[in-house]
Amino acid sequence: MRPFQLVRPDNLAEASRRAKGDKSLIKAGGIDVLDRLKERLENPEKLVNILDLKTDLSDIARDGATLRIGALSTLAQLANAGELEKSEWHAIRDAAGKTATPQVRNRATAGGNLLQLTRCWYRRSSSLGCAHGGDGPDCLAQTGENRYHAVMGGIDCFRVHPSNLAPALIALDASVRVRNDKDERTLTMLELYPEEPYADEAEHTLVSGEILTEILVPAQPAGSRSAYRDSREKESFDWPTTSAAVRMSIDSGKITDARICLGAVAPNPVFVPDAAALLIGKAPSDELFAKVAAKAYEGAEPLEKNQYKVRLGQATLIDTLEAAAAR
Amino acid sequence: MTNKPPSRPEFSRRAFLKGASAVAAGSAVGHEIAAATQPESGATVFGTELHTIELTVNGKPKQVKVETRTTLLDALREGADLTGTKKVCDRGACGGCTVMLDGETVNSCMTLAFDAVGSKITTIEGLGTPDNLHPMQKAFVECDALQCGFCTPGMIVSATACVQKRGKPSLDQIKADMSGNICRCGTYTRVFEAIQKVGGQKVEGR
Repeated sequence: MRPFQLVRPDNLAEASRRAKGDKSLIKAGGIDVLDRLKERLENPEKLVNILDLKTDLSDIARDGATLRIGALSTLAQLANAGELEKSEWHAIRDAAGKTATPQVRNRATAGGNLLQLTRCWYRRSSSLGCAHGGDGPDCLAQTGENRYHAVMGGIDCFRVHPSNLAPALIALDASVRVRNDKDERTLTMLELYPEEPYADEAEHTLVSGEILTEILVPAQPAGSRSAYRDSREKESFDWPTTSAAVRMSIDSGKITDARICLGAVAPNPVFVPDAAALLIGKAPSDELFAKVAAKAYEGAEPLEKNQYKVRLGQATLIDTLEAAAAR
Repeated sequence: MTNKPPSRPEFSRRAFLKGASAVAAGSAVGHEIAAATQPESGATVFGTELHTIELTVNGKPKQVKVETRTTLLDALREGADLTGTKKVCDRGACGGCTVMLDGETVNSCMTLAFDAVGSKITTIEGLGTPDNLHPMQKAFVECDALQCGFCTPGMIVSATACVQKRGKPSLDQIKADMSGNICRCGTYTRVFEAIQKVGGQKVEGR
């Protein structure tokens, strides 16, 4: 890490004001940010420490039918939250509890998990210049070592979005509250990520000085249950190779409503309404789930070394559909 | 969804912004980051020089000199002379630097020392002494739960937190709670044995 000024703001408006511009970086739990600083991927003059505002932003509480998750809630809090034991919101618990290690979950925040930088080893290396890092003309993964990279959604950068939490929150139709020094706005989880994930775009749509303050999870349709599952090479301190989150409602044995989101297979979490639509009006079955998984990965174009991800991703989705149906 | 070919190679926003920021940086030549702590309205700013902070380590106040970028791990090892906590990967991936912050295990390498001010820090030195071993240290010795020993301080801190939290943990709970600590020698089964041995006993850290 290079030297930096540490700014401890008194409130969020001040934090936002101080965080504006390309010489500042916002830090919450610091797990991803310290990694980036140590690798010298970023060398800010000012580190704006919003962790000091934790008491205001770390509640997980019901507000009427909505679940409000403070952006500085830790993943450990989410993984153990009694409120999330309810089956309709269970995918959040699944996703948070599988992230990294106990030590990391005690520190890493919900907001940081959604805004973390991709794990692409080219982007994460300060010695290799790639298009996404802005230090090279091309995506080095496209023709290089790409076994963990995107099998869909890539344009000129084949990174994958590493968050476990994001697919779960998209399946639950969540939104996020974002503020700067003057205004607040609400983005759907899908709007938090760029529609077209070009290499030269940031991995999220927040503008300089904006701070993610809260996650809002709405009431789910009657009879809803949700689940998150993933595949990974190691059970601990690893990111998924493929993941899926599902919410479905079942009434009298028939699926009446469903949302599916895939993770770790594209530069963004991939919401697949067409695949979910196949579930409507049907009873859960192996054949149905296999059909849905095939649809979700329809048109996937794996790179040279990640072909396995298509079959594995389908298996992960089938697993997730079964887990949700069984809840 | 398919992978799409680039549709606008002629324009790169990043390249444009880079050009713009190079101009801005050029005009700021000679600008130095303020060296002193500045009391400003709305925020406290700590400069890049050394600061004396007080950490509460193993029940005692410790004054250490740190930079803003100093990790809790470096502050403990180099500032407080508590070298039991080990620096191994320095990226939160191995658990060698595990300490407790207000009773919860954290990677001290991924925590800024500044962020530990006001918290109760427990390191391996706070659990026992050579003459008076902590029950978990005793169990590690009795079960031969170490080989080279480098991961052991972090292992014992995580193991102690596990038993403090769960009382008498099941083997699955032990495995889950210990999943952030890597042993390069592969002594895991002995570690699990040691924790099971202590499980159910009252174990306190200072």
